[in-house]
Amino acid sequence: MTGIVEAELERFTRGDIQAFEALFREYQGEVYGWIIRIVHDSGAAEDLTIETFWRIYRARARFDPCRSFGAWARRIATNLALEHLSRRRLERSLDNGFPIRAPGTGTPDPAIAADVCTKVLAAFDELPAKLRVTARLAMIEERPYAEIADALGISTNGVKSRVFRATRLLRKSLEKRGVRP
Amino acid sequence: MNEQDEALKQLLQRAAPGPTDRELKRDLWPEMRQRLDRPPVQIPWGDWALAATLLLCLLLFPETIPAVLYLL
Repeated sequence: MTGIVEAELERFTRGDIQAFEALFREYQGEVYGWIIRIVHDSGAAEDLTIETFWRIYRARARFDPCRSFGAWARRIATNLALEHLSRRRLERSLDNGFPIRAPGTGTPDPAIAADVCTKVLAAFDELPAKLRVTARLAMIEERPYAEIADALGISTNGVKSRVFRATRLLRKSLEKRGVRP
Repeated sequence: MNEQDEALKQLLQRAAPGPTDRELKRDLWPEMRQRLDRPPVQIPWGDWALAATLLLCLLLFPETIPAVLYLL
């Protein structure tokens, strides 16, 4: 997966900017791809990718070169994406509280009525950020539970529990809106 | 995952699909480099002095703490 060798990671932890550049170039696409899955907004994903690497660079001394750089980067990226979603939700609630489809998001299936789509999006948007991200990665993106657990810094059982809670809340919320999946 | 959960999952996937394009379109390194080269934010000495004065006042007159918290 990666051409980065341990010696390069070692140099990065000592603050070598060239080693950091090599890491950045190797992983920027992967980190961006992970963030856009969560935030669904290409502009925000680019900003958050840079912020992720900025935090990685500042925390370089704490990184153990024997561990996976990609997993570490994903965890930092996930935390930032979660913060971004919480901030966006707050801004939206100060605005008018209605869910907005982020630019670059896929088009819904035309077989589903527009009002059902709106209700599903609204119900999904009501979930707490942590449940929403877990549900998005597990149910929409169908990422493996182990990968999600690693990125969120929780156990696989923790992921299962969050998916279960998200499912239960979503079903309740959709039933209230007259949608029965 | 039971049948009901599977139905909910499919409804979610159809109503709120993920982004269609997940590829990074440009190299972000130039922006990263700019960020790295930006000088760290320096707090003016006047702000430190103000903070120290406030802290000293709070230590000398602890009964003012609720009032300060209220004003914050």
